[in-house]
Amino acid sequence: MAGSEVKGEVFTEAKDIINQLAVIIRTAAIHDPGNIAVTTAIDKFIALTNPLILSERELALELGREFFYLNEIRIRYSLEYLPKFDFLVLEFRKRGLGSIVFRDALKSEDMQSFLRAFTASASSPEPFELLAEELTDVGSLGVGKLRKIRDEEKTEGGSAVRRMVKKSYFNAVSYTRGVISKIKSDEKVNIKKAKRVVESMVDLILEEEQLLLGMTSIKDYDEYTYHHSVNVSILSVALAQRLGLSKRALIELGLVALFHDIGKIDIPSEVLNKSTSFTDDEWNLVKKHPKWGVRAILKMRGIDATAVRAAIVAFEHHMYYDFSGYPKIKEPMELDFYSKIISLADQYDAMTSARVYSRIPMPPDRALSLMMERAGTQLDPILFKFFINMIGVFPVGTLVMLDTRELGLVYQSDTVFLDRPKVLVVINSKGEKADRYIVELSEKAPDGKFLRSIVKTMDPNKYRINLAEYLL
Amino acid sequence: MELLDDIKAAREVVQALLKAKKTFRMYPETNPMYAKTIEDTHAKFRNFFDYRDELTFKIKQNELFCDSEQIYYNPEKEDNIALFFFKDALREITFKKGFSVKELEDFLKILTVDYDREVLDDDVVTLLWERDFQNVKYVVDEAFLTEDEDYESEAVREVKDKASDGDELTKAYEDSFTEEGVKDISIVPLTDKDLHAVVKEIEKDAQDKTGKLVAIIFEMLYQAENKSEYEDAAHFLNSIIEFSIRHGDLDTALKILRKAREVSGIPLIADEAKKSLNMVFSFLGYDAAIKLIGELLDSGVEINEKVWDEYVAFLDKNAIEPFITILGELKSIPARKNVINALISLGRKDIQALAKGLYDSRWYVVRNIIYILGKVGDKAAADYLLKTVNHSDIRVRKEGIKALGELGVPGVFPALRECFNDPEVQIRTAAARALGNIRSTTAKSIILQRMTDAAFVKTEFSEKKEFYEVLSKWKDNDVVEFLMKTLRKKAFFKRALNDENRACAAYCLGLMGNKDALPLLHKAKESKNKLLREYVYSAIKRIEYGR
Repeated sequence: MAGSEVKGEVFTEAKDIINQLAVIIRTAAIHDPGNIAVTTAIDKFIALTNPLILSERELALELGREFFYLNEIRIRYSLEYLPKFDFLVLEFRKRGLGSIVFRDALKSEDMQSFLRAFTASASSPEPFELLAEELTDVGSLGVGKLRKIRDEEKTEGGSAVRRMVKKSYFNAVSYTRGVISKIKSDEKVNIKKAKRVVESMVDLILEEEQLLLGMTSIKDYDEYTYHHSVNVSILSVALAQRLGLSKRALIELGLVALFHDIGKIDIPSEVLNKSTSFTDDEWNLVKKHPKWGVRAILKMRGIDATAVRAAIVAFEHHMYYDFSGYPKIKEPMELDFYSKIISLADQYDAMTSARVYSRIPMPPDRALSLMMERAGTQLDPILFKFFINMIGVFPVGTLVMLDTRELGLVYQSDTVFLDRPKVLVVINSKGEKADRYIVELSEKAPDGKFLRSIVKTMDPNKYRINLAEYLL
Repeated sequence: MELLDDIKAAREVVQALLKAKKTFRMYPETNPMYAKTIEDTHAKFRNFFDYRDELTFKIKQNELFCDSEQIYYNPEKEDNIALFFFKDALREITFKKGFSVKELEDFLKILTVDYDREVLDDDVVTLLWERDFQNVKYVVDEAFLTEDEDYESEAVREVKDKASDGDELTKAYEDSFTEEGVKDISIVPLTDKDLHAVVKEIEKDAQDKTGKLVAIIFEMLYQAENKSEYEDAAHFLNSIIEFSIRHGDLDTALKILRKAREVSGIPLIADEAKKSLNMVFSFLGYDAAIKLIGELLDSGVEINEKVWDEYVAFLDKNAIEPFITILGELKSIPARKNVINALISLGRKDIQALAKGLYDSRWYVVRNIIYILGKVGDKAAADYLLKTVNHSDIRVRKEGIKALGELGVPGVFPALRECFNDPEVQIRTAAARALGNIRSTTAKSIILQRMTDAAFVKTEFSEKKEFYEVLSKWKDNDVVEFLMKTLRKKAFFKRALNDENRACAAYCLGLMGNKDALPLLHKAKESKNKLLREYVYSAIKRIEYGR
């Protein structure tokens, strides 16, 4: 899996190409493409692209989900490029534009033609068709249509992706279960394997983020500890990936997150698995798990860079952004960046999970609402913004009623159209339990209006809906 | 059957990789063999790429295949490249035509990492993954990561089974028209300010986190509730100190020590906390900690003198013995110098412990200890130093004599006098210089006694000259009188030896700058003895012109 991704070492300028294309399109939205402001930007764009076209013969800029690919190489970018990338993704998707292919030496006039067509297509009911038609005579440029629903989802191969994601997820849960059991019995823990587990998750987050995030909505109260550790790891890595952390840092964060609750192994199981509320004494015991976590990690690993990070997070993940949580500290300190990330992931997953003492979890949208109230006090407000944008306004597993009177479960979030996820319809517009089918809420009718919109969200737990049955 | 050319080329690539794996372990990057290995191996890849655009090895436990042809087989565990990949669940590796020299070098580095080392948490796949090769693809067997093969299917079945009562979708559907919807969340746009704040936070996050962990361990110390928790805190602080030293970061170690001292001084701090912090200070002097310090000092990392002195100030006398041990093992002069300075400082706390170093089997260590004892300056050191005058190694004896001279206590005279009978001229002159350092009347008497001895005139000129030079340190009448007398002395027998003595006396008067001696010196310059004339001229010049 890891090696199936072709790496973007050669195209170091790729992110600048995207950046410059966004600049051109934005400028052309204000000025005529012949205006000097636009032509200057075009010249800069051509200076970036033509050497690559020359060496590669052609350059195909393709949008695949939320990522751009240049000649099949995924373009990596740091946080400062994020707004331009997001803008371009949005503009492409508005027009159903999937790719632009540059051939020969790109000329300024060709780019001007492209910009005219691109601007005009925005208001067309069939934007891609208009764009393609306008560009038929432009030899050095070609466009391709955006694949609306991933072909593979309709095929056996598509299920294969989902199966692979599922397998990786359960591998991680199984590994975590094994690790915890080993730590309990003082056995040596294989960190090499832990890294491999996290690498596999990071790969999936880079390629199939929404599918893997969807897996975190599957909760199992009997295996809560293991699922929770893995879910927090996935959610943290996914968030950090959006923040632009390096692959190496993502691995470290993923590992650290996997062990954030390790101190709980020292809480007696009769307390941890109690089905009623904690007494004060029990609660005081639970509140010791952060410092026990530090102890467990440092005893397991000794001191190294990852252990240092893991111990810090184990200690801080309940302290909260405003230090109103626990443990209370004597001397002021700044909360670690990883702790802030993991704290968000931890709260969200804990709230939306069924546990022994609270078998009815909170619906994801309600959890997000509550977290929004906590942003700025318990939670880092900026990171929360990223988090909510990642999870989507309607997280996977949310029960939704559509304006078409179809009832469904959010199946996959859309990172561009946050309020327009993919929905697995379980009751059709006639009120009948139908064969399940997936609809994309970002899909538009020829008149430009959305085909479907969410009108109401409901609590799936209230209706004893087992998400696993639908999402696994 | 004859192999196809491309398969032959693939086989050659494997052989080149095997050879390169060995070469890379033997030669540093600066060695020409290193570059040659890369070039030779890359040539084999290029050769293959003349036939095909991709080279794929299918990996089995002891075999590599290209297409369906076995191109490598090794049933042994040692140097088995197939097993090397296979054990980390690598099942296929593909090199693409664009595989660059730089990529090859990085690939070879991954191939030669010592994966058996305890400290390394990475395996081949992790390193390939982190390096993110553009032209190397690989396939791994994910089953390697599965702790329990049946876990997935069982877990899925169980989690699906949990809704045994069946859901109430129809009711949900009906309710959806009447019930109030769950509160919506609005989209939250990210502003430039948000992005800027995150970028800053990521930049800040690159800083070392050890200091943060230290703060946490101190918090754990404050919150400790039992002996074991106090001991854990101390143990973790020790581990961090060890980690910091290992990474050349004495500053962090110092921060911990300063904090420990500060906390120990808080009146209300629990006794158990104080005890555990004392464990931290003691730890610094343990063999393991001092050994690490030695490695750090020898690593060439520049250590600020103030930082070193402050660190040494935290050490207790238990550090003396391990320091003596490493003193003989250190390779660099600055490292030894730092340890010597540390021992000078620590020796004042326990001179007896320091003096144990005099029994070390390594002569150079003993010599260093003598030097250190001398610098400690404690009069008690004399007892230990006196024994070194009889050491089997002349270099040690010389250092011992010198140190005794620096101490200058009365007890050293008999030993120094005894040294004049030593068969080694170096010892005799060292004793003279030591006495010269003491500059007491007794010391002078011992020297003069030796110089007036009838046998002295027969000693080598250079030795005599050393003695006279030492004598020049006393500028009193006794000495001047003795020198004038020597300069005047005539002899009928062994005249040359007597003239050597006279020349030395002239030299000594010159060193003293004694103007009263000028008439006598002028007279002596007419001597027929060339050596005497030269020394007399020099002495006059020195007295008259100050040079």
